[in-house]
Amino acid sequence: MKQFAFTAAVTLVLGFPAAALEAPRKIVDYDIKVSLDPETKLVEGAETLKWTNPSDVPVGELRFHLYWNAFRNDRSTFFKESGGQLRGDKADTGKGWGYTDVTSMKWEGAELVKGARFESPDDGNPDDRTVLVVPLPRPVAPGETATLAIAWKAKVPKVYARAGYVRDFFMFGQWFPQIGVYEPKGRRRRTDSGWNCHQYHANSEFYADWGDYKVAITLPEKFVVGSAGALVDTKTAGGKKTLTFEQKSIHNFAFTADPRYVVVEDAFDPAKDIPKDEIARASKVLGRSEADLLAGFHKVALRLYRQPEHGAFDRRHLEAQKWALAWTGLWAFPYPYAQISIVDTPEDGMGATGMEYETIYTTLSFTWMARWPFNRLFLPETVTIHEFTHGYWMGLLASNEFEESWMDEGINTFTEFVMVDRKYGAYLELPPGIGIKSEESSRVSALTQDHDPILANSWKYATENSYGRNSYPQPGTTIQQIRVLLGEEAFWRAFRGYAERWRFDHPTSEDFLDAMRAPGNPHVAALIPKTWYGRGWVDFAILDARTSADDGFTGFDDTDKPVNFDPDPKKKPKKKLDEKKHKGPWQSLVVVSRDGDIEMPARVVLTFKDGQKVNREWDGATGWIKYRVTSSSPLVKAEVDPERRTVLDRNPWNNARYTKKYEGPSAAAKGRTYALHLVEILLSTLWGVL
Amino acid sequence: MSATRTGLSAALRHRRLAAVLWFSLLASALVTWRPIKALFAAFDEGAFREALVRGWDGWGILSFMVARGPEVGVAAASVTVALIVFALLQIFLTGGVLRVLIDGKPRPVFARVIAESAGLFKANLWATGRFALAVLFWGGLLVAAPVALLGKLAKDAPPHTFVPELRFWWGLVIGAIVLLNVGLRFDLARIALARGDARNARGAYRVAKQRLAGRRASGIRILLFWLALGAAVQVIFTSAGLQMNPHTNGAVAGLFVFRQAGFFLLAMVRVGFWAALLVWEERRGPGYSVIGSASGGTTWKSSEEMATSAAVSARPETGSSVTTNGSALLSS
Repeated sequence: MKQFAFTAAVTLVLGFPAAALEAPRKIVDYDIKVSLDPETKLVEGAETLKWTNPSDVPVGELRFHLYWNAFRNDRSTFFKESGGQLRGDKADTGKGWGYTDVTSMKWEGAELVKGARFESPDDGNPDDRTVLVVPLPRPVAPGETATLAIAWKAKVPKVYARAGYVRDFFMFGQWFPQIGVYEPKGRRRRTDSGWNCHQYHANSEFYADWGDYKVAITLPEKFVVGSAGALVDTKTAGGKKTLTFEQKSIHNFAFTADPRYVVVEDAFDPAKDIPKDEIARASKVLGRSEADLLAGFHKVALRLYRQPEHGAFDRRHLEAQKWALAWTGLWAFPYPYAQISIVDTPEDGMGATGMEYETIYTTLSFTWMARWPFNRLFLPETVTIHEFTHGYWMGLLASNEFEESWMDEGINTFTEFVMVDRKYGAYLELPPGIGIKSEESSRVSALTQDHDPILANSWKYATENSYGRNSYPQPGTTIQQIRVLLGEEAFWRAFRGYAERWRFDHPTSEDFLDAMRAPGNPHVAALIPKTWYGRGWVDFAILDARTSADDGFTGFDDTDKPVNFDPDPKKKPKKKLDEKKHKGPWQSLVVVSRDGDIEMPARVVLTFKDGQKVNREWDGATGWIKYRVTSSSPLVKAEVDPERRTVLDRNPWNNARYTKKYEGPSAAAKGRTYALHLVEILLSTLWGVL
Repeated sequence: MSATRTGLSAALRHRRLAAVLWFSLLASALVTWRPIKALFAAFDEGAFREALVRGWDGWGILSFMVARGPEVGVAAASVTVALIVFALLQIFLTGGVLRVLIDGKPRPVFARVIAESAGLFKANLWATGRFALAVLFWGGLLVAAPVALLGKLAKDAPPHTFVPELRFWWGLVIGAIVLLNVGLRFDLARIALARGDARNARGAYRVAKQRLAGRRASGIRILLFWLALGAAVQVIFTSAGLQMNPHTNGAVAGLFVFRQAGFFLLAMVRVGFWAALLVWEERRGPGYSVIGSASGGTTWKSSEEMATSAAVSARPETGSSVTTNGSALLSS
């Protein structure tokens, strides 16, 4: 700790380093002892917390998160915001409530609990008990480490939102009194030092300081326990066991317990598990030698804590995990920890599923997904990849999920679909050739009306859907848009640069956006304020595409001489040109529009009946552009952005228009035929009953 | 000749009858045509036209569903209407189909099916209502209630352990058994109505109960065989239809014809099922008794008393001119 105090002091003097850190700045050190009674679901805990003031100002009060008080009653901010349900899972309002009560907190012999109070900094809810403010008898000086002895008791809630129990399955996340983050001036671009300790919201996750954890868990012997740390000690007595885990350089500690777990052990071996073609590809795109990219990779112990009936998923989860370790290691940086615990939650405990903690996460399996055709839905793999990779964008780049949820969920959605599509080719794949890519399933969510910018406090979006859209698919798709605009090399170099620079640190949105602006693409620079800070959108469309035979000049010339027509009213007008026999020339008109406030460049392609194509680059700066073309063959098709580079295009269907001269086969006829057959299949099933 | 062989031979022989059923399917499906036509018009106007002609385009279809959400909703609603139309048509046509099969003459068919169906429609509609009530009653008693009870018992049990598994399989297997039993009795009641063995749905259900007594298993076997055959036809033609992935307008027309051939075959399976069930029922009627067995087949003798009684008591109710008691089918 002395060494830390010195480091902190140096930091205060020098300010925050501009370069990447080799290890995190540790602000906290937890030594926790906890016992669980699985029958009553009651928990008793004691922790020794060492907290160091990282700022250059004295701190006169401490703030703690008591997350499980979100489940204390229906007056909590979490319950009011969620209505008692989250991601499809409902709270058990019968006996599923939970709580955390701090019974004692001592510092330098003084009991602090008596003066403590609850505060609701985000919404002023007087009934919310998720932020505890503890005034101190004297301020903690800059760089000083305060050692607190905390005792608490808690009741585990029935799981519907990440943490809790179902039967004998327990997921302990955000379970102990955890100190908030005192952000020193400069961190996350703050202009002054202060607490960042938000209430627990329905649509928010977490933010904490780095540190070391030692956790001793006492519970009945029959339980199998997986945790964020490495097991360092086991003691048994009286039918109970105490397991001690340790993990350094993390900012949260989660564990799970269930007597039914089957533990499957495996290891990620860089020599075997990194695909050679991916190394070559990364080396080429990132402009680094393969040896350079492979430096830092090491073996990682994998422990899958799975339900006994989910044996069919062992290979699927472990392969997905290995691929994610390989991919993130190449395109971000190698995973620094020695182990990963993968928790396969029970099918009746879906509230705990799909949640990330550092070095441990929960994934899902359903027995029906092991059977054809559902085994072609790569959902278990996707969840495994997604949750593990949170360990980077929430874990190793410790973003503030309360205030910038997209930095975890959005970047993670992007890396998830890149990984899933690269490894599996699709998110869902059915014969014959019917599939949906993961990127597409994400992008489709970004097509609809938006109510918020990407960047907002997680509890301040208009609706839960808007939070979901602007935290997951919208930023994921917008990053994909930046990737397309920058090109593979510039994008991935900027991306890896961001990851390496902010590893073990606390980046903010502008840090990521600066990395994306760095290659100097003006369209990216213009895109960022419209999407991260606005509700910008774009829609390219072909408004008009027509072609007609040009039979030359018709009318009076400058000498008033009739050309190509007879002005004599008694004579019949000249017959209209037979376009079928017309050899040319042809006059065509194409009107292209760009609607919405995002300016994007696009290519316009005009296709003529003889197969010729004319390409035009349009900067998209104006709202529309017209093309008039004289050609020897009639125009059959006009298309804007044929390569679909504008992934944010809100309606890709209006990007092309065919003229009457197009004679190709009809997709409508094919679609109608298949649709009619589908209806007939559905109706004919009634023959089995009626 | 076994009931199955009789069914297969009747399916081949009564192709016109199958055509009537197939046409009822196509006509019902065409209820959705206008919304489907409007919905898919966009395929020829948009950026995915050529991609969709080549085959599947995931992004095209996903974005289409979003961009054309309201039109997709209208098309989905029209499918519900088509389902109702088709259900009513089947309730209507079944009486006529059975009468034609009982009569045994493969043509003329269309006008006769309509005329006979009209006469039996009211009674068949009541029988359908009774079938629905029976499904609700027996389904509630033997499936929903035990499943709910097992659900309570399994409340604290881990998934896929004995009680939850029992609950799942109970729901599936007992549910299927209930549906097969109730369905078989419904089918036999409709046969009783078509034969004129009963005046109304209540009487028909009583006759069906007599036919089923002690012989349920063999009746269900027939039902299962034809269901399996129908499912096989459906799977083969659906799979082949998807594989065809036509790239030209002509090939699309070919696909349409091919799939209609599949649905026609399915209608033939339906005809075969009814023929097989008629034979099965006929052999178990109280008016028939086994008189011998020769050359590998069983010969049955009809009861004149039964036939006369049925003709007198039941025919006027249906307004039908058919007076057969089923021997025509056997002799065909």
